Amino acid sequence: MPGFDFSNFNRNSALHARGVPLPKATSTGTTIVGCVYDGGVVIAADTRATSGPIVADKNCEKLHYIAPKIWCAGAGTAADTEFTTALISSNVELHSLSTGRDPRVITCMTMLKQHLFRYQGHIGAYLVVAGVDPTGVGLYTVHAHGSTDKLPYVTMGSGSLAAMSVFESMWQPDLDKDGAIELCSEAIKAGIFNDLGSGSNVDVCVIQKDKPTQLLRNYEKPNERGHKERNYRFPRGTTAWLNQKIISKEDMKKYVTIETLSGDDSLAERMEVDS
Amino acid sequence: MDKLVSQYSRSAHQNEFYSEQEQQELSESLPPLSLKFSMPPVDNSASFLRAMTDDHSNPSCPIKLAHGTTTLAFRFQGGIIVCTDSRATAGNWIASQTVKKVIPVSRLSRGEDKPSKDPTPGLLGTMAGGAADCQYWLRYLSQQCTLHEIRHKRRITVAAASKILANLTYAYKGYGLSMGTMLAGVTPQEGPALYYIDSDGTRLPGNLFCVGSGQTFAYGVLDANYKYELTEQEALDLGRRAILAAMHRDAYSGGFINLYHVKEEGWVHHGFDDMNPIFWKTKLDRGEFSNVTSEL
Amino acid sequence: MASLLDHSARGETVGYSFSQAAAAPVKQHGFYPYTDNGGSTLGITGSDFAILAGDTRSTSGYNINSRMVPKVFKIGGDAETGEGAHIILSVVGFAADGNALKERLDSIVKMYRYQHGKRMSVSACAQRLSTILYQKRFFPYYVTAILAGLDEEGKGALYSYDPVGSYEREQCRAAGAAASLIMPFLDNQVNFKNQYIPGSGEGHALEAKKPEPLPQDHVKQLVRDAFTSAVERHIEVGDNLQMLIATKDGIQEVFHPLKKD
Repeated sequence: MPGFDFSNFNRNSALHARGVPLPKATSTGTTIVGCVYDGGVVIAADTRATSGPIVADKNCEKLHYIAPKIWCAGAGTAADTEFTTALISSNVELHSLSTGRDPRVITCMTMLKQHLFRYQGHIGAYLVVAGVDPTGVGLYTVHAHGSTDKLPYVTMGSGSLAAMSVFESMWQPDLDKDGAIELCSEAIKAGIFNDLGSGSNVDVCVIQKDKPTQLLRNYEKPNERGHKERNYRFPRGTTAWLNQKIISKEDMKKYVTIETLSGDDSLAERMEVDS
Repeated sequence: MDKLVSQYSRSAHQNEFYSEQEQQELSESLPPLSLKFSMPPVDNSASFLRAMTDDHSNPSCPIKLAHGTTTLAFRFQGGIIVCTDSRATAGNWIASQTVKKVIPVSRLSRGEDKPSKDPTPGLLGTMAGGAADCQYWLRYLSQQCTLHEIRHKRRITVAAASKILANLTYAYKGYGLSMGTMLAGVTPQEGPALYYIDSDGTRLPGNLFCVGSGQTFAYGVLDANYKYELTEQEALDLGRRAILAAMHRDAYSGGFINLYHVKEEGWVHHGFDDMNPIFWKTKLDRGEFSNVTSEL
Repeated sequence: MASLLDHSARGETVGYSFSQAAAAPVKQHGFYPYTDNGGSTLGITGSDFAILAGDTRSTSGYNINSRMVPKVFKIGGDAETGEGAHIILSVVGFAADGNALKERLDSIVKMYRYQHGKRMSVSACAQRLSTILYQKRFFPYYVTAILAGLDEEGKGALYSYDPVGSYEREQCRAAGAAASLIMPFLDNQVNFKNQYIPGSGEGHALEAKKPEPLPQDHVKQLVRDAFTSAVERHIEVGDNLQMLIATKDGIQEVFHPLKKD
């Protein structure tokens, strides 16, 4: 059954009316951009996710897959961009299977705007949709309320003004692929350094005719983490404790089955951590 | 209408730069603990202040002030016990765990408050509510008490001192001050005396008071075990135990236990001790706080 | 004002955390003279020095006003160079109020020297700053101030304030936007909170690690580490780190670059 579960809606709005703050969603106060060039399109994004003034994720992915040659950059509420693009991605794939044709960017954009319009802006997804289809190159912006634009270069998110200033001063009609990547990267960097909602690294996605799409994750890393001058390892026994209880593997085997993974990376998924 | 006239009949730049009075203030040699306060240029300054600083009615107010929390004082045959916690909170943030909420009031006892066995003459005031309000007005009271001493060649009574403070808070009623203070002292005229004064203008003499958000917890312990005939050691232990109960149950109280004993010759400081070891000692040695378990 | 006066109202209702706010909807006021300019400050003292540090970013909303607005000032010295000063003040919050406060304290410390022919002690200056803040009790300075210098015995002294002037002498203090990120670090690394001496005893006999004054190099490293960490996780902190170190030889000023995103 598709759609949303509204069973907590009345309770939550009653609580809100009584002064309880609503839970804070992680929002991607963001810079996202897109730019067409002769034979393809480039979209790019920063990688900072914030919750109020706190950085929630220093290296998140804001470029979302929709179809092999349609990608989407998302700003606004992180969960909404994630789930809306995933939903539309499914529908686009089903649509292309039933028609037997490659999906078109304008189809995807229309599905997104109809979905968002239906929810009257409550789904806080602000998107840049880009791709290549049999009709040519497509680049659109979709706002949370459902309005769309079609332009040769676009910016969105809290850093959109900083990024647009780069486009307005450096964009030319005859860009090649490398020029478009470089321009998008510069625009994102303008957002990273001049907008507090944006930061960390630059992600780029290049979609071209007759060539596989390239996702250039962390294309530039202008904000490497600074090193610490002191060592903050505590000697064993520094923390006080009241009591201890040891649960051995043998004890646990009474309740669950235990399989030991080898140290090989291919078996266990590795988590991204700061060095 | 008068207001409009006065507003527009002033010359436009009359209030620029420092006024003559302000210039004089700057050159005065003594820091003036004065009653002159700068007010916001709005009709209802109290509601402006509330909108800016009252984190209770508006949790997202821009200026979060430090508040003090559990304090207690009681009279017994050997004098007066004064005991407090040491936590200051600003909204949900613990601003400090080392606040001195017992403030000596009088000229003689000013200066560093080092623990000493010798009694120091003078009164004690406690701090609950706005930390700045209590610090400032107890200092103001201290100044008035010193002037009294100089004028009349004898120490002020607790009754008189508490009345200075109560008159003051009553004069500022409705402006937005927040304080709940106890004044304790022993004078030849009145013996051991204890008064409660708050920012509403209340002034009450009494045997036993607890003030602050943890007051109910402290009253619970105190009322169960209090009697006037307590020995000195029993009284000190009871004060410490009552504050410990409040620190344990009230999220806005905690830190260190600050304990004082006021007797005829003056007050004696009985330590500023971390609550944690005291709590575990109370639990393990005396079997209290059995709701807390250390078992896994 | 919460903790003291409203307990009776709270006591009557069952303890739902939201029941108290029911009666008082948030009031809107047309007069709003404050802006939060972000940034963070921190101070630590040692046996013969005091350090105050702050980042130099000034923000409003998601914008950066400037990457070089110092928050730490020398008090009572030459107007241009700050020479001859012996007290340092950091202010964070609303920069306009902070500047007005600094100017006010500076002129008072100078007048004191002209009238008395001697320098104002740090403890006297601390008390004076408290009264300056309290003079605006009903229209507060939107700032958190930290004052530092050397006391009469030559030891590092540091006083921290709330916006209306309650103050306390401390070993260390963080203030401003990233205070909640830095202060727990300082509690642990300067006052050794939650650190015990390994092997000093079993259970309750385990001894807590006693705080002692730290050497200057050590403290400088802590300050820089505190800020490189705060910069990682707080969007309003960054650009440059300004450090003022008060010793018996005067006040030394150092800048370090921080991340600019």
